[in-house]
Formats: sequence, structure tokens, C-alpha cells
Amino acid sequence: MMADSGRDGASNEEDILTLFEGFRGELEASNAVREEIKAVSQSMDAETRKMQAALMGIHAGTDEAVASAVAKVREHLEPLRTLNAQLAAIMKQHPGQYYRYHDIWRHVHTSCAFLVAFVHWLEHGTLLTHAQVESELQLRHEEFGIDLEDYLVGVCSVSNEMPRYVVNRVTAGDYDCPAKVASFLSDLYAAFRLLNLRNDFLRKRFDGLKYDLKRVEEVLYDVKIRGLQSRSQPG
Amino acid sequence: MSSEASSAVGGIGDAFRAYAKQLDAVNERRERLVKASRDVTIASKKVIFAVHRLPADGAGGGAEEAALGQAEKDLQLIRKTSIKRVAQELQDEDYWRFSRAFSPGMQEYVEATAVLHYAKTGRLLTYAEANAELSEVQDAGGQAFRLSAADYLLGITDLTGEVMRLAISSVAAGNKGAAASMAAFVGAVYEGFHVVPMVAELRRDLAKKLEVMRSSLVKIETASYMVHVRGSEYPEQFLAERLAEAPEDRLDPDM
Repeated sequence: MMADSGRDGASNEEDILTLFEGFRGELEASNAVREEIKAVSQSMDAETRKMQAALMGIHAGTDEAVASAVAKVREHLEPLRTLNAQLAAIMKQHPGQYYRYHDIWRHVHTSCAFLVAFVHWLEHGTLLTHAQVESELQLRHEEFGIDLEDYLVGVCSVSNEMPRYVVNRVTAGDYDCPAKVASFLSDLYAAFRLLNLRNDFLRKRFDGLKYDLKRVEEVLYDVKIRGLQSRSQPG
Repeated sequence: MSSEASSAVGGIGDAFRAYAKQLDAVNERRERLVKASRDVTIASKKVIFAVHRLPADGAGGGAEEAALGQAEKDLQLIRKTSIKRVAQELQDEDYWRFSRAFSPGMQEYVEATAVLHYAKTGRLLTYAEANAELSEVQDAGGQAFRLSAADYLLGITDLTGEVMRLAISSVAAGNKGAAASMAAFVGAVYEGFHVVPMVAELRRDLAKKLEVMRSSLVKIETASYMVHVRGSEYPEQFLAERLAEAPEDRLDPDM
């Protein structure tokens, strides 16, 4: 063993220091990218918070309140698209590193998916697919998309909002809403069961879906036994 | 609404079946990478053990040459088999999406190849050298596997624990000069880590590993001190026993 070759130890020690200094450029560049992304991500976060606040208007329950809240949320969509385009532009300069920095925008993308999907549901009563959420945000998946799990977590948030929405709609006199929502949520729950979820965050969120459905079904039961539903409604 | 809703059911189902496939593909790839990484770890540990079995008296000789050659071959085999599998799994994929799955193996590999390099040359295997050794590990598209800076650096933190053990066994075997040069080596590495900027990939592990490195350094320095100050007073065997006792209570936590 040549471990006692301390004869050239001094020069070797300088070499070692030089070697470590060599990492400075690469690692500081990575930190700079991170900061750049964080700045955009924070603006997006502020935007999605405004949208979430505007969305709370739906819980006034009336058709007008829902329509006005949806319109307000949609006003923020364009700035959100612009910010997403900025993120895409940054990441275009760092190809193949989406998941190196994904943790920074993961949360905000989940909010984006939630907002876009929920607003669409309020307008059309259907679930936007992953690809549709991306195109609503004018993102091209090959360049800079929304991670599938982030989309799915956003969809779980849509479900979480439903019990409160149903309660307030019924209070405002829309007795057909619970049946519609219960049917949507039970389809959604069945759809999620097609996924082989690992024991992770998404799995936890999925486990919450059945409680949303249960609460909506309780409202549906209340409406039904009192004969408040219109006759055309099934279930 | 009811007819619209029922058409949406089919839509949701089809979409989610497609999502299931995508999630499964990612999870299965991650599982395969974890397995390959584990294989890299197991084989790398064997190389590290082999380096520790080298005669510690610093005398060299034919048996040592043969053992070093065998360790070299073992590392080559790790590259050609397990790391090759990692490279193939990563073809056209985002390296960083899966890095947590294969990083443990890569760090252990860096530790093994660096400890062998140190045993042979007394020098630190550089990042460039480590990647050069991997240049032949390519995916089907001819893309060579590269170690991330973080995996190299974290592997090197573990190297210092191995050098500490080498130092103790060398001194115990009567190679009195070893501890001083090893203390200088680990000291330089420890100093080096202080000029490395903190990045996200290092944040989780580095502080703890530097703590361990510091304690390794102190052990080597203590060994060197004992040799220097008391070495002439004690019979060789007694010194060896003292040293063998002292550091064994706190070993590298990764072992």
C-alpha cells in the first residue's frame, strides 16, 4: 500500500483544494437557476392565491355568484399562462432537468391544475384531462408540462371542494346539485381506483376522496327524503 | 345533464387507464433502478472490504498487486453490469426524476473506486477521473453515464471514513508514517468541502456527513499523535492495541 506516499503530500493537498473549487462554477450556476425559477414560482403562487380567493365566491351558492366567481378566476388565467411561459423559457435553457427543479413549482402546478379543472367543472360538469389542463394553460407537454401526479393531486382538491359547494348550493335552492355532484365524485373515485398508487402523498389524497363522496351523499339523502329534487333527476 | 355525465364517465375511465399506465411505467423504472443501485452498493462494499484486507504494513509485494488487480476487475464488472443497467434505464429519461433511486449505489461506487485509487496512489480520485472511468458505460444511444456532482461529493465524504480505518490498521501494523500522511489527506478533503457551495442536492446529507468526516479526521490525528509522542515509549504491540480499541466504537454509520 502506498498510503505513506506523503512525499508529494503538499502538492496533492493543493490539488485537492483546486478540485473542490472546481465545483463552484457548476453548483453556483445550479443555485442561480433555482433562484430564477423561485422568483417566477412565487409570482405564480401569488396569482393562484388570488384565484383561490375569487373562487370562494361560489359558496354564496346562487347561479349569479358562481358565474361571477368563475369570471373573476378566469381573469387571472392569462397572467398565469404568462408566468408558466416564463418557467418554460427558463427550463428550455436546461433541457432534461425538469425534475431537478420540479420541487420548486410542484405546489403551484397542483394549484393550477385544481383551479383550471374546477372552473371547467363548474362551467361544464366534466373533468378536464391532464392534456386539457395543460392546453388550457397553453403548455406544451414535450417542452414544459404539468407532472401527472401534480395534476392528479389537483383533481383531488377539486373533490375536496365539493361537499362545501353542494351544501351551499342546496341552501341557495339548487336541489339537483347533490345528485349531479355525487355522480361525478363516484365516477372520479372509481377512476382513481384504476391507479396503482404507491404509499405516497397522492395515495393519501386519494384516501380522502371517499369522505368527500360520503358527505355529498348525505346531502343528497337529505334532499331526497324531503322530495326536494326535481323529477327529471336520477338517483 | 344525465346523458352528458354518462359520456363523461367513459372519458374519465379511459383517461385514468392511460394515467395508470404512465404511473406504472415510472414506478417500475424506479423499482428497477433501486434494484440496480442496490446491486452496485453490494458489489462496491465488497471492493471496499478487499481494500481493507490489503497488507497494512506498506511493504507492497506480489500478493498486494494481485489483490489490487482483482479489486480493479471487480469495479470494472460493476460498471459493465449494474451501472450499465442504470444507464440503460435512464436512456431518454430525465436523470433527475430518478436520481434518488440510484444515488445510494452511485455514492457507494464512488467510495469504492476512490478508496482503491487512494490505496494505489495515495491521491484523491478526481470527479473528471471518476467520470472518465464511466465513459464506456453507455446506453443504447451511445450516451455515457455521468455521476452527478452531488453523488461524487457524497461518495468522497464516505471515502474519508475508509481512510480513517486504513490509518488505524496501518499504524497498528507498525506503519508509523501512514497516519501523518492520511491525516494530511483527509484534512485537505475536509478543508475542500468548505469551499463547495451548498446546493439542494447536497443539503439533505452533507452536514451530517461532514460531522462524521470531522470525527474521522480527529481519530487519524490522534493516531498520528500517539505514534509521534508515545510511539517510542511503548512496545509496538501495545500501541497497536490502544489504537485498535480507540476508534472502533464509532464506525462509519453507512457500514
